[in-house]
Amino acid sequence: MKDKKEKSSNSEFTPKVVGFLCNWCTYAAADLAGGSRLEIPSSFSVVRVMCSSRIDHNLLLTTFFKGADGILVAGCHPGDCHYGEGNYYARRRFAQLKKVMETLDLDPERLELVWVSAAEGNRYAEVVSDFTEKIRKLGPNPMNSSTRF
Amino acid sequence: MTETTGIPVVLKTDNGVETPVREFLGQMLDSGAVDALIMPLKVPSGDSFAWILLNDAGMLDDAVPFPAVMPVQGARALRSLTRKEKGDLTVLALMRPCEIRAGIELSKLGQVNTDNLILATYDCPGAIPLQDYVNDPESSEASFKEMFTTGEPGENAKPACRTCVNFSAVDSDLHFGFLGISDEGMLVIPGSTRGAELLQKMDIQSETGDKLLPLWKSEVESILKKRTAARDIAFKKTESDIKGFSGMLNVFSNCIGCHNCQSACPICYCRLCYFGSEASRSNPEALMNQAIKRGGISLPPERIMFHTGRLAHMSLSCVSCGQCSDACPVSIPVADVFSFVAEQTQSTFEYKAGRNDGKPLPLRDFKKSELPGVHELVKDAEPGGASHE
Ligand code: SF4
Ligand code: SF4
Ligand code: FES
Repeated sequence: MKDKKEKSSNSEFTPKVVGFLCNWCTYAAADLAGGSRLEIPSSFSVVRVMCSSRIDHNLLLTTFFKGADGILVAGCHPGDCHYGEGNYYARRRFAQLKKVMETLDLDPERLELVWVSAAEGNRYAEVVSDFTEKIRKLGPNPMNSSTRF
Repeated sequence: MTETTGIPVVLKTDNGVETPVREFLGQMLDSGAVDALIMPLKVPSGDSFAWILLNDAGMLDDAVPFPAVMPVQGARALRSLTRKEKGDLTVLALMRPCEIRAGIELSKLGQVNTDNLILATYDCPGAIPLQDYVNDPESSEASFKEMFTTGEPGENAKPACRTCVNFSAVDSDLHFGFLGISDEGMLVIPGSTRGAELLQKMDIQSETGDKLLPLWKSEVESILKKRTAARDIAFKKTESDIKGFSGMLNVFSNCIGCHNCQSACPICYCRLCYFGSEASRSNPEALMNQAIKRGGISLPPERIMFHTGRLAHMSLSCVSCGQCSDACPVSIPVADVFSFVAEQTQSTFEYKAGRNDGKPLPLRDFKKSELPGVHELVKDAEPGGASHE
């Protein structure tokens, strides 16, 4: 047990980051990035959703409370949502959850919302690497060292 | 403060405040101005109250317009009557301001239909915690009487009432006001055109309340100042109590996961909450994996997530009525946390729960370029942000 904790606090820490990617844009961008052999952190797990507005509070909270170190939600640029305005509603819902986390001081910076279009393979790789690096610096999700949650 | 619409009338209060209200409502029934009333009546055992839908003016003798406790949040009564349809009859509901506000909030959520409802409320001095009342109805009644006379919730009131800033002049059709004018009588103040029309129809012979209105208003303002100050102090304490992972754990450490707080909440109307659903239950392998990874986990899991999730789901509509705290069997100050977080989330979206001001529910609305408070939280996804084209 002890070993495990020490390990997780040193610079070797590999954060577990979960990405919820919209099928119509960012997921395709991920494909493009993969096809172009761009480097994506191996600890980044992808969940494909049909629209960023599919994301609800429970999905994000469950991911967070089960110990993900970072959560990235990515969808189509405003105006480009396949369903019209899904991403605008997603942005509000995301902001609401983030406000609750901020108010409770539960590491809101572990949650991020971005827009990445299907053509932005390079940007996708950048966004994912930057976010993963940010989370690495933040350290492990405190939830993971709590036996009481 | 909500503006008054039309001219208030004055009721004489020589025989206390309850009698003139009973008479006034009886007159409304008899004249056919309304078809029925929703009011609290004492339960047969005498130690609580129940909402009764009544159309027999004779029953008004047993009605208690201003009860000392709020057992079932009144908005739930409104919902049970109008959830399916508005009905043909006009019903006047006399309730505490937070019950009316929850009703208005539920109407935005499609759970209450206010089309044929006359919402009436009053200067609320606060309510006695349910448990205290059940334990000792007599002395509770005495402290409530005291609260009612001063207009201020003493230390015997529910914590939510001591810090309530919506105890008067909320959006409603009719308002009974007695603060600052008790020597002269009581005001019936119309808060909507519908309310004003009703008052006119009643044709009550009384001097107009125009002259008392400013007195009432200034007393409401002065009590509001005190309660706002009390609220600021309470919020500061809650903010430091719940700070961070350990704070949440401390505050909710003896939560038994009964979800009473949710059942008593007027806003939580979902028939099946995610947190009670099969979908929310983890399978044993997943739990075991968590236990191995962390060294141990609590069972049943996710008590804290329940509260965080409920905050995320409903704090935008929380009316700070305090029912959740009243319902908690282990005395967790649930409402302190919910009111505090609600204040933060509602101000972020420039929204006030319980207002009838035409603003849509924040999550059913958006701006292409978001409100400043929202912008701060999602900068990258905003115009000009790193990921915005
Ligand atoms: S969360 Fe508590 S204070 Fe807020 S509306 Fe529900 S019962 Fe009332
Ligand atoms: S009522 Fe109290 S014990 Fe029950 S779930 Fe709510 S906070 Fe926990
Ligand atoms: S379809 Fe991509 S965000 Fe809606």
